[in-house]
Amino acid sequence: MIPIGALIGIGLVAGLIIYLVYIKVPQKVKGLEKTEELNAILPGTNCGACGKPGCFGYAQALTHDPDLVTKTPCALVLQDAERLEQLEKALGMTLDVEAMHKKALVHCNGNSETIYQYSGVDTCKGAAQLLSGYKRCPYACLGLEDCVKVCPVDAIFTDPEKKIVVVNREKCTGCGLCVAECPLNLIELVPADTKIAFLCSYKPLRDIPGREKCEYACTHCRKCFKACEDEAIEWDKAKAVPQIIQDKCTLCGKCIEVCEQHTLADFTKARKEAELVPTP
Amino acid sequence: MNELIVIFIGMALINNFIIVRFLGLCPFFGVSKHLGSALSMGAAVTIVMTISALAAWLIEAYILIPFDIEYMYIVMFILVIATLVQIIELFIKKTNAQLYFAFGIYLPLITTNCAVLGITLINRIEGFSLSGSVVAALGAGAGFTLILAMMSGIREKLETANTPKSMRGLPVAFLIATLLGLAFSGFGGMI
Repeated sequence: MIPIGALIGIGLVAGLIIYLVYIKVPQKVKGLEKTEELNAILPGTNCGACGKPGCFGYAQALTHDPDLVTKTPCALVLQDAERLEQLEKALGMTLDVEAMHKKALVHCNGNSETIYQYSGVDTCKGAAQLLSGYKRCPYACLGLEDCVKVCPVDAIFTDPEKKIVVVNREKCTGCGLCVAECPLNLIELVPADTKIAFLCSYKPLRDIPGREKCEYACTHCRKCFKACEDEAIEWDKAKAVPQIIQDKCTLCGKCIEVCEQHTLADFTKARKEAELVPTP
Repeated sequence: MNELIVIFIGMALINNFIIVRFLGLCPFFGVSKHLGSALSMGAAVTIVMTISALAAWLIEAYILIPFDIEYMYIVMFILVIATLVQIIELFIKKTNAQLYFAFGIYLPLITTNCAVLGITLINRIEGFSLSGSVVAALGAGAGFTLILAMMSGIREKLETANTPKSMRGLPVAFLIATLLGLAFSGFGGMI
């Protein structure tokens, strides 16, 4: 009798304590309903590109601060008209989508030769630890596909000849995961309506990379600057690289023709060579 | 005071719950992928351990022994632990919903976690006093959190390495646990 009584007694006391805690703790946390509503609209890919740990984390952040959708938009929602509309309704905001679209651009077009054989950890991050990689140019893309693995939409592929990576501009959603992955910081998010891309990241001034580091690098010859008739290219004296003003550019293509190193490229043409590269 | 320090170090390092006694392995392998959630899980388990050790000692001293129903100790302890886990779950769900989802199923699993029941049983077997039991539980929780933190740090670093595909995730985690066990066995016989 006593053991049963003791057990029941303690059970009742425990139940009472739980009940007291339950009524003391705030009942309907208002945020959670809104968060779950927003979470249903988000794609649920959990890619983490927004900087939050998964779609639920982003939904929570949005509940506290709806302006976050303009500062760090979810790239996948931006591409999906239906979700975008639902999100606008849920947050009570209208978004200027055109201004927010971004694409990734790999600032390397090079075919730098290999200076040593690398047989360490098979990732760009590992190879970049030793003399900034195994290519002659320290800012060359190593092509070990760290960024390729991380892309949630498979928009990056490796050019097999030059052993660099290229972004398929049409598939790219501008999420920015590849930007974080690259150990040499070669990838940049540029506005989707960029017309001309400058494809060399070599930084030191005195060395003229075109002659020493790789065949496709900028030699600072300024031919593009002289060839442009719309004054869309300015010469950045400090960095000794052309600065392209996208608004003035009319895509006449003269700078691309004139550049002997093939450093400038037409960004509006999506690199679709992925179709020629066999899928693994 | 000396005795309490000895108990604390004993529970935390020398007879560490995860690595030496092999108790509480479920959250060890389940929640040790990110340092943040590992530390939160360690904190949750420490809180549950301490309060349940306290409650268990009080129940043993003032209800079980006087009424001569000592044999009921296992059922009573489990009741206490289940209550505490339920309360903690309520707290975490309402205050930090993201952590709640990050823990997933591992939060209610603390109820059946053998480390938590283990500390109450070990306190009983060793015959610690009230302060001894609480300090032992704190030490056990501290050791648990330490091992979780170490494991999550190692696993986070392991993400950048080139693990063979079949060994990724849990298999290599078991190997790491083995190495940790070897390292901690060096503490054996210190006290």
